[in-house]
Amino acid sequence: MSLKRKRGTLSRLAAVAAVAAIALVGCTSTAGGSAESSSKPIAKEDLVLVASVINTTNPYFIANIQGAEALSEKLGIPLEIVDSQGSSQTEISKIQAILAQGKKVVMFVNTVASSDTPTIVDAVQRAGGFVSIWWNKPDDYEPWNVGDNFVAFQKHPGVDSGRCNAQAIGDALGGKGNVIMFPGVQDSTTSQTRVAGFEAEMRENYPGITILESQPSNWDPQLANQNAKDLIAKYGTDINGVWSADDGMQLGAIQAFEDAGMLEKVKFASDGLYPDTVELMKQGYGNNAIVGETFHRGYMASAIGLYTAYLAATGEIVPSELSKDKRTSFFDIKCVTPENLDEYLQYDGPEAAADFVDSLVENGPWDTEPATLTGGGGPEVLPTP
Amino acid sequence: MVQQISTTKSVSGPDIAATRIPVPGAKRRGRFRGLAEPVSLLIALVVLIIVFSLFNERFLTWANAQNVLNQSAIPLIIAVGATLVILLGSIDLSVEGVMGATGMVWILLSANSRGGADLGPWAWVIALSVALALGLANGLIFTALKVPSFIVTLGMWYVGLGLATILYGTDLLPRLTDERLTGWTSQLTLGLPNSFWVALLVIGLGSFVVKSTRIGRVTLAIGNSETIVRSSGLPAFRVKVTVFAIAAVLSGLGGILATIQLDIGSPTVGSGVLFIVIPAVVIGGTHLGGGKGGILRTVLGVFLLTILNNGLILAGVESSYQSAVTGAILVAAIVFAAWSQRDRLRVAK
Repeated sequence: MSLKRKRGTLSRLAAVAAVAAIALVGCTSTAGGSAESSSKPIAKEDLVLVASVINTTNPYFIANIQGAEALSEKLGIPLEIVDSQGSSQTEISKIQAILAQGKKVVMFVNTVASSDTPTIVDAVQRAGGFVSIWWNKPDDYEPWNVGDNFVAFQKHPGVDSGRCNAQAIGDALGGKGNVIMFPGVQDSTTSQTRVAGFEAEMRENYPGITILESQPSNWDPQLANQNAKDLIAKYGTDINGVWSADDGMQLGAIQAFEDAGMLEKVKFASDGLYPDTVELMKQGYGNNAIVGETFHRGYMASAIGLYTAYLAATGEIVPSELSKDKRTSFFDIKCVTPENLDEYLQYDGPEAAADFVDSLVENGPWDTEPATLTGGGGPEVLPTP
Repeated sequence: MVQQISTTKSVSGPDIAATRIPVPGAKRRGRFRGLAEPVSLLIALVVLIIVFSLFNERFLTWANAQNVLNQSAIPLIIAVGATLVILLGSIDLSVEGVMGATGMVWILLSANSRGGADLGPWAWVIALSVALALGLANGLIFTALKVPSFIVTLGMWYVGLGLATILYGTDLLPRLTDERLTGWTSQLTLGLPNSFWVALLVIGLGSFVVKSTRIGRVTLAIGNSETIVRSSGLPAFRVKVTVFAIAAVLSGLGGILATIQLDIGSPTVGSGVLFIVIPAVVIGGTHLGGGKGGILRTVLGVFLLTILNNGLILAGVESSYQSAVTGAILVAAIVFAAWSQRDRLRVAK
């Protein structure tokens, strides 16, 4: 008897659940009804900020989170963090889970792979949110072809970064010598553009410098360390300069040269000027081994991305009315050498992210020093060999 | 209960029945089988070394040999533990997580650029205890709760990684500041890198455990047939937990050495190690099903993989071709090394 009653309750519950599910589906499909309705301004109280990062251990991505936190505090809007754990699948499913909660999102995504962008943008668009993508997207997938919900694609130009590093090494070696290179993941656009810039600058302006070899090291300090050891065994003291596509790998490479007792005679340059690198440069580590860096900060990227999307969400900007360079945008990076290092120390204090956000809200996403808009309007043009 | 299982086993046991079918040449092959496999692996290794030294004269130098020994040290240490686990017929996938957690605990408790306490030798004790705890958790969940080791250790991988990430927080990278430690792993003692001496010690102890202790004998027996081990009253439970604990402590040791090698603490300090260690054990000829194999064979497997990576870079193989070439050479080497074993009774699954 009691079992029967229980069954009855169960089936009623199931029916209610089914109705609720149908209603939910109805809701979602209304929300995704048309791109027109979804790009109407949203009241600030209904918004939630979402910052999606590739992992939470790399210093750059940690800085991404700090920037998002600073902006969340400044605007008084709650923040959710998505940790992709290095996987596109994790990234996409976590973002979809947040969208399924029915909130109106203002989103910054540092995509794991270029090919994730259309899937993420599509999901955000259907949920009526607004998204800025950083660093990676397919070249032919442009915001103005998608709609106002894909507010912007933003990055720092890799070619400029590579050229800047090449000048530092080229000058430090007096225009003569041999260099080895540690790119990141081989098929990453970010790495490819930096490599192209580095190689082009050497080819055009430093004909006396030979690039001995390039060993992709997957943004992994440990792998860069091993590859550096193998290249030291291969070329020995013929190596005069070492370029890495980011500071993490450079730290691994430097350690290998120190172990081999070659640090004093080799010059290094890389991208990112991580706080640890700042320390090494300040100390003049290894006879001033690090001769060049490019400066940009993860907190600047996430704050700019989120703030641009926020302005679109609240109707303060209408993306489709913006010029193309404000939809696919390149932000300035600075060339840092031991001589001008001091100018950049101000960006690493405990209040640095909050200060940047203050200035960002005052000056808008495209005019905030040191990351001002320098170009864009289409894919980054690689120098032709 | 136990008896019941063992009777069913003996009735339907296909291996016992199968060995009685006479196969021409099986006896002769059987006699050499124990020896032939490591010998052909050794030949494969020598061929590889000769080929690489033809491509680049710097390959066969003492400096590069030291480099290869240094690079193989950490995988060797971890592979000793992995071999023990695989001899049980289980697998330990938690290697990279345990390395991350142990390395992070160790560097944060040693003299580092973030400041904090410098506990000296106690940092080692505490860090290795963390590894031990993770290993005991692996072993106990696997043995007592009868969850497949594949799943338990996969979960523990992420527990370790999570622990390392929490400890790491959002501060600067912790860098080693103790000058006696920085670069210690690659410094030479009697011509060999320090890390390799540690690996030699671990290999020695590991072989001793397998060959001359009860733990080793019971481990092999469990890999062959756990039912028989249990019915004969041997301590299967304790041995299984102990083996997982040993494996985790060795992973932890590897994590600390990797941290010293890199000079910085990182939760992902072990990235990629699992995919050297497990293939190395299998290439060495230890059966994934357990019961057969040994530590010295694994050593050959680790060397084969390390030399392959090093040699391809020195030979100047274009980086985009390296993974394909690595795979092809590996398959060729294994076909050659396992040629002596392709008798009719061993079915490749």
